[in-house]
Amino acid sequence: MANTACFIIVSRNDIPIYEAEVGSAMKKEEAAQQHQFILHAALDIVEDLAWTTSAMFLKAVDKFNDLVVSVYVTAGHTRFMLLHDSRNEDGIKSFFQEVQELYIKILLNPLYLPGSRITSSHFDTKVRALARKYL
Amino acid sequence: MDPLRSYLGRLLQEEITPVIMVLSTPLVEDACQTNGLNFIELLLPFSVFNKINVPVRTASDQPYRLQMFKLRLAYASDIHLQNYEAAEEHLKKVVLDASQKTLTDLISEPPQLENLLKNSESDLCPSWIETFNKELIRTLSFSEHETFDHPVACLLVVSSKDEQPINRFVDILNTNQLPSLLSDGVMDPKVLKHYLLLHDNQDGSPEKITSILAEMRNTYGSNCKLLCINSAQSANGNGKDIQWMPYGSHVLRNDDIACFLSTDDINAVRDFMLDLSSNYVIPHVEQKIRILNQQVAATRKGFRNQIKNLWWRKGKEDTPETANGPIYTFSSIESQIRVLADYAFMLRDYELALSNYRLLSTDYKLDKAWKRYAGVQEMTGLCYFMLDQSRKDSEYCMESAFTTYLKIGSSSQRNASRCGLWWAEMLKARGQFKDAANIYFRISNEEPSLLAAVMLEQASYCYLLSSPPMLRKYGFHLVLAGNRYYMSDQRHHAIRAYRNALFVYKQNGWTYISDHVHYNVGRWYSFIGILDVAVKHMLEVLACSHQSLATQNMFLNDFFHIVQSMGKKFEVYKLRLPVINMASLKVLYEDFRTYASPSDVHVSESLWQSLEEELVPSASTGRSNWLDSQIKSSSSKRNDESPVCVAGESVVVDLEFINPLQVSISVSEISLICELMAKSKEPDTGSASHTAPEEDSELKDSPSCRDSNSDGSFTLSKLDVVLGGGETKRIQLEVSPKIEGLLKISGVRWTLSDIVVGYQYFEFDSKNKEKKGRRARRSLSHNLSFIVIKGLPKLDACIQHLPKKVYAGDLRLLLLELHNQSEFSVKNIKMKISHPRYLIPGNMEDLEMDFPECLEKQKSSGSKETPANVMLKFKNLLFSFPDDATIQGGTNFTWPLWFHAGLSGRISLYISIYYEVASCSSDMKYRILRMHHDLEVLPSLDVSFQISPCESSLEEYFVRMDILNRTKSETFSLNQLSCVGNLWEILALPESLSMQPVQTLLAGQALSCFFKLKDCRKVINTEGEVTLQGSDLLMISHSCKEAMIDVSRSPLAEFHQHERFHQGKSAKGDSSIVDFILISKMQGNGPVFEPGMQPKLLSYHACHCSISSRCPLSWQMNGPRMINHDFSGSFCEANFHLRIHSCSDAAVIIRLTTYDTLPEKNQSSDGVKLSDSAENEGGWHDISLVNDMKVLSSVHGNRPKKSSVDTLSPFVWCATSSTKLKLEPLCTTEISLKICLFAAGTYDLSNYELHWEVKPLEEGIAGVSSSGTVHGHPFYLTVLHAPR
Repeated sequence: MANTACFIIVSRNDIPIYEAEVGSAMKKEEAAQQHQFILHAALDIVEDLAWTTSAMFLKAVDKFNDLVVSVYVTAGHTRFMLLHDSRNEDGIKSFFQEVQELYIKILLNPLYLPGSRITSSHFDTKVRALARKYL
Repeated sequence: MDPLRSYLGRLLQEEITPVIMVLSTPLVEDACQTNGLNFIELLLPFSVFNKINVPVRTASDQPYRLQMFKLRLAYASDIHLQNYEAAEEHLKKVVLDASQKTLTDLISEPPQLENLLKNSESDLCPSWIETFNKELIRTLSFSEHETFDHPVACLLVVSSKDEQPINRFVDILNTNQLPSLLSDGVMDPKVLKHYLLLHDNQDGSPEKITSILAEMRNTYGSNCKLLCINSAQSANGNGKDIQWMPYGSHVLRNDDIACFLSTDDINAVRDFMLDLSSNYVIPHVEQKIRILNQQVAATRKGFRNQIKNLWWRKGKEDTPETANGPIYTFSSIESQIRVLADYAFMLRDYELALSNYRLLSTDYKLDKAWKRYAGVQEMTGLCYFMLDQSRKDSEYCMESAFTTYLKIGSSSQRNASRCGLWWAEMLKARGQFKDAANIYFRISNEEPSLLAAVMLEQASYCYLLSSPPMLRKYGFHLVLAGNRYYMSDQRHHAIRAYRNALFVYKQNGWTYISDHVHYNVGRWYSFIGILDVAVKHMLEVLACSHQSLATQNMFLNDFFHIVQSMGKKFEVYKLRLPVINMASLKVLYEDFRTYASPSDVHVSESLWQSLEEELVPSASTGRSNWLDSQIKSSSSKRNDESPVCVAGESVVVDLEFINPLQVSISVSEISLICELMAKSKEPDTGSASHTAPEEDSELKDSPSCRDSNSDGSFTLSKLDVVLGGGETKRIQLEVSPKIEGLLKISGVRWTLSDIVVGYQYFEFDSKNKEKKGRRARRSLSHNLSFIVIKGLPKLDACIQHLPKKVYAGDLRLLLLELHNQSEFSVKNIKMKISHPRYLIPGNMEDLEMDFPECLEKQKSSGSKETPANVMLKFKNLLFSFPDDATIQGGTNFTWPLWFHAGLSGRISLYISIYYEVASCSSDMKYRILRMHHDLEVLPSLDVSFQISPCESSLEEYFVRMDILNRTKSETFSLNQLSCVGNLWEILALPESLSMQPVQTLLAGQALSCFFKLKDCRKVINTEGEVTLQGSDLLMISHSCKEAMIDVSRSPLAEFHQHERFHQGKSAKGDSSIVDFILISKMQGNGPVFEPGMQPKLLSYHACHCSISSRCPLSWQMNGPRMINHDFSGSFCEANFHLRIHSCSDAAVIIRLTTYDTLPEKNQSSDGVKLSDSAENEGGWHDISLVNDMKVLSSVHGNRPKKSSVDTLSPFVWCATSSTKLKLEPLCTTEISLKICLFAAGTYDLSNYELHWEVKPLEEGIAGVSSSGTVHGHPFYLTVLHAPR
């Protein structure tokens, strides 16, 4: 499992709708805002890259010092962004694919308004389990 | 883009130029100082030639013209590498100077995206950053591994005042002021020397000078010059238009600069410099290039030389690797190549420079002279750029230079930065902004915080310039820069960086980011003393529920600290702490509808309205008829959109306050913001639209500015609460107007921790309003305005001792207490209760007696008229208080209420009290007081009755009462069983038969009791009027002195009526139905009831207990039981009568059939039928009795069966074998029967059958047409032989 990993889902309006610190490292106060900063800045790169390829998994798009941002863009232009320090591309890809399945299930919920915050605790536990499995 | 015209091109042309070393005497400097300048500063403005236009020929034969040229001037003492600390100090000063200028910007509004993108490239980046970059590069001048800073020429200046000026020239050359690089042998000491004699015209005429000059020319040759300055007699402004001051000068700018220079002087200086550069420096460099080129070609060019070189260098491989590599003196071939390349670069012969740099780079690489190698790579990259050749190559060279510098370590870190700057500029010139930003970022990683900050800031501008602009990267890098600025104590710059980034993070969602930015900006503003802006930013972070507890605490404390240091109460519009849930806004006010307690308001309006339908005048319920004309004209209808409230009575606003933090906060002085326009000021139209336009402007004001309560026309409640972490509190705020007019509730204000005042106005959009009006049962009009009308009386009411939890059957007396607060009196009081089964109004007399006794049977039965009264009340749920019941102002009024818990479960009681205002002058004629109580009725005793006809008597029935105590802990004593109405009489069974009288029933105990019920229906009364006389049976032992409870009197009788009504099934005829009332007392006081009270009285009403079984008949055989007969004579005849009684309401057709032989199989069918019917009855939960009955019947039937078998047909029926007759309802008839007996013995005369058929009362009514067959009851006749 990665030492530091921050997973975030960004809606098509560039608003984070789900955030999870999934790293095994102890969570620090500054880390949360730093991760947000890096991921937020990486959106610019994603914006460039997303339209150059037909693949959903954009691999590592950006890095900040030793932290790498991997991104997966769904068809609805929701972006799954993972900030990590490990180099396990296959694992990250599988992680994203499985999270997308979970995300689709969330979308299928008629009470969920697309683009609103994902508050489902079930989703949260599943994502964390996937993070433990793949990252 | 032409690289020469790019910024980097210009930069290189300015920075990589020949250096002229200046050696001057102190007197020279003194002469210059009169102008406020030193000697170099005097020359500096003229060292740049934009259009020099001189022909140049370097290694190739083809000459070209040089346009722009510049000379760099430096004192010999300055020609050395600056040490690190000094350089650092110098750069810090540059940044600090810039920060002074930014102070004014910080107070203005932060930039917005649109404005930012409109700015051109040059405006975007603050100009001081360019200066900073130049200064950074300059700090690296005169390094040993590069030669372009090595002086090309040496300018020796001596003043004419010096003694022996000729010798002075030699002196200054020989002093050890010369740079160490020269003495180390790195620089070529044989440089071009130029001699200048400086003459100050104020010292006298220049006659003497010419002789000195002539002498100089004799000694040093032709390159001797004379320069005269300070010709102007007094200060003039000739030099004003010239940019004298280079950056970083130690002299302060003032008007004295160049004041003594005449136009001639300036022109002389200009001419001198032009002469120096075009006639001496450039030719010298040209010549040097040509010489060196020849040398290099001779030693290094050509195949042979290359092989030799390679072989020679291989031999040096074993030399230890040092950081700087081997030391190269100026005479070494490597240094010469480098000089050649640099000179070529200075004269813009980039081809020549490039070829030499490349040649050199392999040498240095082989020698592992990494620093030199990097320097050469750097220059190679720049050459590529200037030639606008392969981008890839140039980038490769810069990259390798950059990484090589970094690899060497800290000593050449700054070189790496310089290289990076050039590289980034190169990329910028080519439009590769993103890559440039990356380079800046890489530089920032290696540099101390201040430099890193500047680099990061430049990186951010690069992101902004890239297309499309990468705003988030821009913001991020600005924040990083700001952070570094802050770390290096540059607060102004830090704030500038953060606030420039603010607009990027305007969008919500990225909470941690916006918190960080706002918090830091706020904090830093407070450090520099701009508190109002600081508070503005701090407000943004207050609702930081996602942060940890420690962070929340820190945010709050800092915020309070800043506000406190402002030293005044601070009012904030829409303060985000605590959060106010505007959707929870509810307004409670009382117009003609008043409420006993606030909780009553939440009952839906329709429920009240249906309850009050008969109570209020019809107009208010929406029905219009000819009567309501006067109500329509009343002023309460005048203004439909504004609700009405009464002066002196409070309007309550219900709001939810939410603390989003984990820290508990104290909120004090919560109150409403109101406005009350007195009636006189109110515009005639009274419409809200009139005041609407000014409303918007008012909303921006703080409430303290528009506090209109100075005249005390209304009072506001003030509340203090402490909201714990994550707590939500519903707070009720009151405003009570004192005068008539128009009350407007516009918002709410509160004080957070006694420091900050927050206020918020209520805003409604139309959609929201619509919804609220429906749900909160009040149509909230725009901006919550009320018409305040004159004070009215208002009743308060409470029901005393109304319990929350009772056991079913509980009967008690309650007191309704009405209180009139106002000074007016009210009249015409009426009341309506939603559930008369539970609560009925009593009589005034009930008050005079104690509770249990008043129910007891009185000797004088003077209450005969009550039943009629009861019936009247039952039909009309409306209860009018006596006409004389007026409540004067300030007085109390009590009225008894009877409470009876009829059914277990939860019940809500609604009570509406209507009253009219005695003085009719008011706007409102009547008001309604609404009360609402919820109570829970627990199950106590289950009582059920089963009635079966008695076989021995036609008028008597057996009553079985089953009681189950369903409570957990209570013990009940059974007091009295009454049956209602005078048609029936309940009797105890004879003592011998009945079981021991049970007095108490423990929790969970079940009990069955048997009674006898006597039919007293004398007359057939088809009207079925139930008179409530009843008969009572005291169940407890007679030793105990307990009075009978009179069930025929007011409360019990009425409750009984309601019970009858509610328990009513399909009532099929009144007469065959019995109602029972069981009265019990609770023995032990359980935990739910208050102790010390006398035993509770409970009454249970079982109504509609039918006496009829399936058979509508009861019959009885009458006749002799024993006959003595002498059978020797004749057979015996016996006469019998069968009395048949119809229990049915309808006529019954009966057919009696007698059998001489009784079929065996039918023997016990009667018993079976009985048990069947018993099982079909409801309310039986114990079937043991059925079994008993079977046993009973079989016991009874056993003997006769045997006897009948023994004596087959011992008797015969004579007379008619079948009789058919019609029996009118409730009639009795007799049929005569006769038998003949032939022997003595005991006979069972039960072998007859009764067929019955019930006819419907009228033809055409489909219904109860039924028929059946029953067997006879056993009747034993004993015949004895009595011989005569």
